[in-house]
Amino acid sequence: MTDFKALLRTLTDSGVEFILVGGVAGTVHGSTRLTVDVDAVYRRTPQNIDRLVLALTPYHPYLRGAPPGLPFRWDAATIKRGLNFTLTTDIGDVDLLGEITGGGGYDDLAGTTLSIRVFGIECRCLTLDKLIEVKRAAGRPKDFEAIAELEAIRDERSRGGRT
Amino acid sequence: MSDESPSSLDAIIATYKAGLDRSLIRRSLERTVEERLETLMQLQEFAEELRRAGRAAGVG
Repeated sequence: MTDFKALLRTLTDSGVEFILVGGVAGTVHGSTRLTVDVDAVYRRTPQNIDRLVLALTPYHPYLRGAPPGLPFRWDAATIKRGLNFTLTTDIGDVDLLGEITGGGGYDDLAGTTLSIRVFGIECRCLTLDKLIEVKRAAGRPKDFEAIAELEAIRDERSRGGRT
Repeated sequence: MSDESPSSLDAIIATYKAGLDRSLIRRSLERTVEERLETLMQLQEFAEELRRAGRAAGVG
């Protein structure tokens, strides 16, 4: 099980700059769909990569779905060589994304986020409009129903004046 | 980027939208973000319990 609270706290306590995207961002906006991991776009500066390494090292990150025993090292060099990492950790599954289709990287997305406070933790989340836009841009069939729900949420909000 | 043209993607999404239970969405919007995330974790726990039960019954 993914402990969303622990994952968010670990990242924010370590000063990692990240933006929530994907299913958890959908939940933030009101989605009723079940998601089992945290998707986050992280800033690819050397300092932030160092913070990311320090944040997750105690929780033994490993490539999700990979056979055990691979020579995977969770360090800055690995992150710099790669871009997107689907990881499992002791506190749950997390997808760390350097870039997303239709949205780019952290700095590209930073202007289309909102600040949320959850479990006493302050973090950034993609806006509903941007979330819909990037999911549409990705065009993955598995997202079609999620896009429909997010658009329905947008309709409901504009109808009910909810934000 | 998908091969779907915008118009066909719109049509597909409209079909999904027509089948949505909006009462669930309205109920979700009445909750706080924290409550929604807590619900997610409870659902994960429930799903895991069901998987365990399935395995114990020899169907998982």
